[in-house]
Amino acid sequence: MLGLIYLTARELWARKITLGVFLVSTLAWVLLAFALNLDIVDGTLAGLRLFGQDLGAPDASDPTSGLLSLESFVINISSFVAGATYWLGTLLGLFATASLLSSLLAKGQVDLLLSKPLSRSRLLGAHLLGVHAMVSLLVLYLLGAVWLVLSIKTGVWAVQTLLAAALIVAMFSVMYSVVTLISVWTESTALALIVSYGLIFCSLFLAARDALELQIPLLWRYVYLGLYHVLPNFAEVTTLVAQLVNREPVPSWYPLLSSLGCASVLYGLAFLRFGRRDF
Amino acid sequence: MSTLLTVEGLSKVYHRRTRPDVHALRELTLSVDEGEIFGLLGPNGAGKTTLLKILLGVVHATSGSATLMGHRVPLAASRQRIGFLPESHRFPDYLTGRHLLDVYGRMAGVSASDRAARVPRLLDLVGMGTWADTRVARYSKGMMQRIGLAQALINDPALVFLDEPTDGVDPVGRREIRDLLLQIRGEGRTVFLNSHLLAEVEQVCDRVAILNHGRLVRLDRVDALTAQAYTLVCSPLPPALLARLASAVAPAAPGKPDPTGQTATYRLTAADPVAVNAVLDELRAAGVLIDQLTRRRALEDLFIDVVTEPTEGT
Repeated sequence: MLGLIYLTARELWARKITLGVFLVSTLAWVLLAFALNLDIVDGTLAGLRLFGQDLGAPDASDPTSGLLSLESFVINISSFVAGATYWLGTLLGLFATASLLSSLLAKGQVDLLLSKPLSRSRLLGAHLLGVHAMVSLLVLYLLGAVWLVLSIKTGVWAVQTLLAAALIVAMFSVMYSVVTLISVWTESTALALIVSYGLIFCSLFLAARDALELQIPLLWRYVYLGLYHVLPNFAEVTTLVAQLVNREPVPSWYPLLSSLGCASVLYGLAFLRFGRRDF
Repeated sequence: MSTLLTVEGLSKVYHRRTRPDVHALRELTLSVDEGEIFGLLGPNGAGKTTLLKILLGVVHATSGSATLMGHRVPLAASRQRIGFLPESHRFPDYLTGRHLLDVYGRMAGVSASDRAARVPRLLDLVGMGTWADTRVARYSKGMMQRIGLAQALINDPALVFLDEPTDGVDPVGRREIRDLLLQIRGEGRTVFLNSHLLAEVEQVCDRVAILNHGRLVRLDRVDALTAQAYTLVCSPLPPALLARLASAVAPAAPGKPDPTGQTATYRLTAADPVAVNAVLDELRAAGVLIDQLTRRRALEDLFIDVVTEPTEGT
């Protein structure tokens, strides 16, 4: 099983898009490390420059003002990076990984793998673990490096940024369940991407539930609410990521939980189909 | 000698929504013994690949059963000590030959220490030692087959399934692979060879099964299948005589009639030369004019005859 986890992660790493994501992530934290300059005098923050631009000095009469502005600065940067990683990371992640399963199921590859002394469920499970391990590493690499640079430079250790990474990986997993089911059923990467991106697009409308719900005719309202509870709420979870990074209380985890519920059903169906079909 | 592979009444039907069902295998029963090279022959669509796929857990049987080394197919345990080289294998082209063997060995459950010992030995065995650290993307077709063979042997299998191992390989490479198969058997392994290259099968296999339309139509030792078979060209046999000698004489494959109608071609089989002469005496006594009697060239003749015989239900 470890062999297939390794092979999946290695195949993902061999793709140029993965290397591209890695390089862009590296560029992001390296720029932050060298572009963010803090002037600290006698243990207090005297000035802040980003790309050479002076962001202003804290109020000397209020010893906590420098720390507070620094904290909100760190939170803003973290929030921006986490939001961008959530959307761009998931879209690029799906694009990079969607063809992995189709190529694994291709003739000459799947029969070789199925001939190994592994059950089909372990085979698919190992593939999923490999994909998730690689995506987790890339997300942690970007967010972890940004968090570390900001923390070392400012002394503000905002651990919530790392919790956002878990949320990002969880939602990637939710969307990858769509790719998995469609790939196992049809072996079509294009269809898997179209449907998963389509669901992300639909989730924008589902996220506007408060604004839309009462304006929809009764019958369609039930359909809308049905879809809200059944489909992944990808867009709405963005709010959870922002709330988490901003250290705000999260009023409801329902969008995440219902999305995870949807993913569980889709993964279950994918395992069932993979176990029964002929290749 | 123990039996490594048993197949009992195995059938496979592919159900299709808009077209008639395909009966890929029909009530197939056979077994393979330890230490032999077993050849599986048949025309395209005969069910060879389906049988292989069922045995390897790639396709589910509709009915019947099979065991590999005593374990019921398709349990994962049945594949513990088997090696497999698929017909059109696709190895990750970013791996080197050495790395590929290591990764596939790990997937087959081979320990790190065993892999470290076996990988260089297998690379040398298949003549890929000097290419071990070159990426698979740069390998030729013949090199791919050889690294594929090494991959099939990485878990020290008792039974190796090879699906068209010499497909696309040049004559020199084919010879090397043939020698390798004999060497593998010499190490006490059993080889299950699926090939459409009849000459190759004849040279290396101990026993052969011929499938046609999903049915097993012949199963015997290669020498028994080819030794006492002749092609007889003579004046057309009266139906009564043909019926009386049915156990020894049968019309040869259709499609080879003499356009003049003066001769016809038959397949003559007999246990030994004495029996052959007895049949010839009987034919001459009935006034049949014998034009030619030639010993079959090879397995190919038998194969052509067998697969062109009309079969029940087709």
